[in-house]
Parts: sequence; structure tokens; C-alpha cells
Amino acid sequence: MKLSAIPKWGKAKIKEINHPLLRTKLLEMGVVPGVEITLMMRAPFQGPIAFQCGNTNISVRSEDADFIIVN
Amino acid sequence: MKILLLGNPNSGKSTLFNSLTGLRQKVGNFPGVTVDQKSGTMTFQGQQHEIVDFPGIYSIYPKSAEEQVVYNALNALNPQEEPCIGLVVVDASNLERGLFLFSQLADLQIPLVLAINMVDLAERNGVEIKQDVLEMELANTPVVLMNARVGLGKDRLLKALQHQMEHGLKETYFSVSQGMIALEDISLQEQDAEKRFQKASELFHKSVITRTRSKEKSSLDGILTHPILGYFFFALILIGLFQAVFTLSSFPMDAIEQGFHWVSDYLSGLLPKGPFQELVCNGIIPGISGVLVFIPQIALLFFFIALLEDSGYMARAVFLMDRLVRPFGMNGRSVVPLLSSMACAIPGIMATRGIPNPKERLITLFVAPLMSCSARIPVYTLIISVVIPSKTVLGFVQLQGLVLFALYLLGIVAALTVAWVMQQVLRQDRRSLYLIEIPEFKPPHWRNILMTVFDKIKVFVLEAGGIILALSIVIWAVSNYGPTAERKTALRVLKQQEAYISAQNDERERLESSVLLEHSYLGKFGKGIEPIIAPLGYDWKIGIAIGSSFLAREVFVGTLSTIYAHAETSGSYRLKDKLLQEKKADGSKKFTLASGISLMVFYVFALQCLSTLAVARRETGSWRIPIIQLLLFGAMAYGGAFLCYQLF
Repeated sequence: MKLSAIPKWGKAKIKEINHPLLRTKLLEMGVVPGVEITLMMRAPFQGPIAFQCGNTNISVRSEDADFIIVN
Repeated sequence: MKILLLGNPNSGKSTLFNSLTGLRQKVGNFPGVTVDQKSGTMTFQGQQHEIVDFPGIYSIYPKSAEEQVVYNALNALNPQEEPCIGLVVVDASNLERGLFLFSQLADLQIPLVLAINMVDLAERNGVEIKQDVLEMELANTPVVLMNARVGLGKDRLLKALQHQMEHGLKETYFSVSQGMIALEDISLQEQDAEKRFQKASELFHKSVITRTRSKEKSSLDGILTHPILGYFFFALILIGLFQAVFTLSSFPMDAIEQGFHWVSDYLSGLLPKGPFQELVCNGIIPGISGVLVFIPQIALLFFFIALLEDSGYMARAVFLMDRLVRPFGMNGRSVVPLLSSMACAIPGIMATRGIPNPKERLITLFVAPLMSCSARIPVYTLIISVVIPSKTVLGFVQLQGLVLFALYLLGIVAALTVAWVMQQVLRQDRRSLYLIEIPEFKPPHWRNILMTVFDKIKVFVLEAGGIILALSIVIWAVSNYGPTAERKTALRVLKQQEAYISAQNDERERLESSVLLEHSYLGKFGKGIEPIIAPLGYDWKIGIAIGSSFLAREVFVGTLSTIYAHAETSGSYRLKDKLLQEKKADGSKKFTLASGISLMVFYVFALQCLSTLAVARRETGSWRIPIIQLLLFGAMAYGGAFLCYQLF
């Protein structure tokens, strides 16, 4: 399932990231497959979402979040 | 020795930089790009060292223009010839990715010091760092736990730097790969990153104990990023910010202008009469005053922006606003610069530096001058009072107020339209990744905030001030000098007129300056462009006022009062009445509703501001963008004004 589809406060584990640039950048920020995340915020009108990973909150635009697959 | 300050964003790097250098720092641009380069000096044990503060990065391989700067600088390093030390700052709460960046830098074979910052926050997050384990594993790197905000660990950091300066030990723990991977080779970078992350992760798990604390849902974020309350709160902050910049700045701005006026008066009595006295008292001193008068607005705006950034709120505002401005090719970060341009475009344009994506930054910077700034208000209110009747419509709406509102709205619509067109036309050289970290809320650090304000003022005065001063002296000169013989004749003619002979002394002076302005080079300019501006409904007098208002838009009003000093009107001294009573040769009113609306629309669009041009040049690095702005907005002003004059 896509990261953009999980509800607020929902927890999930990162499965894969289907976008090379996004994958590398997220890896550098410490977001790798297997890591647990919590969806923290969601901006209205299909705006960005923010998820917590470790001790940090990362926000991505929802169309980019479509590349992030979780389970 | 040179110390390179490197680290993750939000790791407290700037705080550390400020604490190490104090006021001994300077801001400039990195070569070839408009990314802030901050450097400073610090002295310890009798020796002076240079510190360069780099933009925050997650990796040495760049994904944005800011990160590119770091890559270029690291690539250009030559440790054999110019020894240096890398001071790597990482956030104690996010040590894993900090170690990842550290590993890349270590493999470049630069002697490093690892500063693990914000240990207090990490403790609250349940993170315990075993310094001894880290030091054992990273045998060649001093590790310092610290909290730069309160100065904790600073002594230990200085000792560690001293140690590396003497020994220059290079870290061997990681050695995943040596040297840099080619920028284009994304897949090799990815493989490298994976290996690196594994190694960093192993070290992390050896040296850090995390007690999983059930994260309480932050109630503050529940309100501040709430889909409805969040926007409400942001609107409140913006209104407050706008009001503050607007109202708090008016007193110091008046004081600066009054003060320089006084100095100019004082000096004009002191210096011998002549061209030099005129240049100093009427050209240079008002010119300097015209530069310094922007400082209160710049200081206030950046005080609030730095406050919002430092406390962590700005990232939330960006998060909320991103979706709304994205159709116009802008970023959530564009909102504050754009809206603050309604007070003044100068600090607004300077604030676009915070937008990481070059295209989004360019669009924001480009359209910012279309937002109606406070200097247009005197122009708007004068013309509204002349051509718009003071009455209420729809029962309660004041018509004059409604027109003023419409002018502001027109500016906003124009800005968004131009932005939208640019978004379609401009190429994106790099796919824009909006990936930002939302930091935890922190009480603001006043020293950081004041340093930001101080830096911005310095940059404005030193890098835009000279151009503004030079151009304003040019405008002063063309409005005060003209063909000598012609001016003499004109004065002689005036002195024979009935109105002059019967007038009081100060009225006589006013009449003289009016005649002199008419026969100055600027007056010639005004008359020369009359055929061009006639289709907009303006005569040469308005032409002169438009020309002189390049200094600042509000000068329009002052110039008109000078010109109209000798307009023959019955009794009233008020500029408004003079404009109303002026008649054409056929006896009809000269200043009509059509020419008034046309003039207001002209001022909505036209880039009538030298200072804005100078700041746009400084922020884009060349005259190209400001010249395009000047021509495009000029064309829009002409077209809009022409249309209005023909329609009404």
C-alpha cells in the first residue's frame, strides 16, 4: 500500500521506494526499507504529508509519497 | 588553520557557528551562485583560525543548489597544500544519519571532529549515547557531546579542535570507498550509500541505547497544523507580522528621514554655497537617507522570520501553504516573502533566499514587486481622493476604500498570473524534491535571531546601498540641473508675472522651484515622453513625477506638489484641489476619472523603485532579471493604463 494512503496516526513499515532520487535522498535521511514510520500530519487538498521516523518528522508532497510503498 | 563546519540541517550548526565566531563573521555568496557563504574567525591559544559555515546537508552528493555548493567546495579541497579540519555537527536525537554523513566525510580523508549536538533534547527523547564506545570505535576522531545553545561542551570542543590541529588524525573506521563518486553516477552512489548506511547503523546500535518512549501526540502540532485551525493561526501570525512591519517601522523610518533632513540643513548652512554644497546636501545626504530608511522594515521582517524559523514554526507553515501556491510554480516557503512584499518588496526579495529550489525561488523573487507595497499608498490615496467620489455603495461599503482594496487585489492577481506563466515557460533543470524535515519546537534563541537581522542589514547596506545611492544622485542631478540659459530666461519671465510679484516670500520660492523643475533635464524628459504617455491620459507634469518617483514611489506626490506650485488656481493650496481644477485648453477637466484610474493601474504594475532593482540584482547575481522585471512590468503598466484610459 502507498504511504499516501495510510490514515493519520497510522503506523506502517517502509517496504520499498520506487523512485531512484527519492530513494537515495530518503536513505540519506535515515528512511530505509524495514523502518517503522507513523503518519503525523496531512495537509488538506492533497497537500504534503508528514511522517515520523525515529526522532524526526519528514514531510513529502503527496505525489512523491505515492512512490513510497509501505505495509 | 581553516575549519569547515559541516553537518545535517537542523543540527544547530548555525548556533555553534555564532557561538564560536561571535561578531567576527562575514556573509557573502559562494562563487557563482547566490547561496550564503558565512565565514568567520575565532582565536584560541593565541592563534587565529578561519571557520567556514556550509549549508546543511544529509549527504555529500547534492540534490539541490545549496548542497551543490558543499560538493564543489569539498571537491576543490587540497589538504596537502592547505590543511583543514572538518567539524561535523550532528543532532544527538538523529545520530544514525549523522554518522552516515560523517562516514562520507571521513572517507575523504580530512581530519575530523565529531560534535554531537542538542544532547538535552536527545535525553528527553530517550536517547543515551555511550561516548566511550564511540571514541573507541572512531579511534582517530575526537567526539564531543554538547549543547551549543547554552554553551555546554564548548571548552571540550575547542580542546578537540586543538588536538586535531596538532595531530591531524584521519578516521579509518568506515573506508567504504575512497574519494568521490561522479555526480552523474546515481546508481553507484546508491550502492555506496547502502553499504555506508549499514556500517553507520552498526556503529549506531553499538553506541546508542534508545528507550522507546511512547511518543505523545504533540498537542501544539494538533492545533498548528490542523486543516482548519492551522490556517486560521497562520493567518493570525501573518496579520501580526504585517501589522508589525508596517506600524512599528514607521517611527524609526520617520526618525531616519528627519535626522538626515536635519543634517542636510545643518551642513547647508556650514558649507559655502555652490555646486558642492548642493551635491552634498541635496544629492548625497538624502541618497544615504534613502538607503538607510529601509533598515527598520528589513530588521523587523527578518526578526519575525528568524523567530518563526528558529522556533520551528516556519516548517509547519511551509507544510500547510505548499499545496496552495504550488499551481503557481512556488513553494510553501514563498508565502512569507510574497506577503511581506505588501509592506516592502526589498525585505521580501531578500527573504526568498530561504527557498531551496532555484526555479521556485526565481518565480517568487520575480513577482514579489507586483504586490502593492506601502510606498504606493500615498500615490493611491492622492489619486483616489481626486477622482473617486466619497460615497457609500451597497448601503455600507465606502467606495474609496473599495477601490483601494481592488488595487491591492489587482496586484495579487497580477503576481499570481505572472508566476503561473513563468511556471509554464521556465524549464526545470533538476526534478524538484520537496522533502523537508519538520523540526521539534524549541524556545527561540535570541542570539541567532539578532545575528540574522544584523547580517541582513549589513548585506543590504553594503551590497545594494551603493547602487541605490549612485542612482539616486543621478536622479537628483537631472531634476536639479538643466540648460542654464533657458532656466535664466524662464525665471526672468516668472519674476515679471503678477502672481509672483504679489506673492509672499515662501510662495515665491515655491514658484521658482516649480519653474526650475519644469526647465530641468527631468522636465525635458517629462515633456519628451508626453507623446508616449498621452494615450494613457497623462501630460508632461505626470511624466516628470513618474520619472522622479523611480527614487521611491511616494516621491510622486512630492514632485507633483512642486510642479503644481505655480498652477494658477483660485485660493486653495491643496494639491488635490489643484489637480481637480486644472483645465484643458477646451475648458474640460484635465484630470478625469479615466486618467486617474489609468494612473493608479500604472502604479500597481510598474517597477518604479530603484532599490527593488538593486536588491534583485544582488539576489540574482546579475542585472538580467531586474532588467526583465523593469521592462515586463513597465509593459504591463503601459498596457493596463492604456486600456483603462480608453475604457473609462
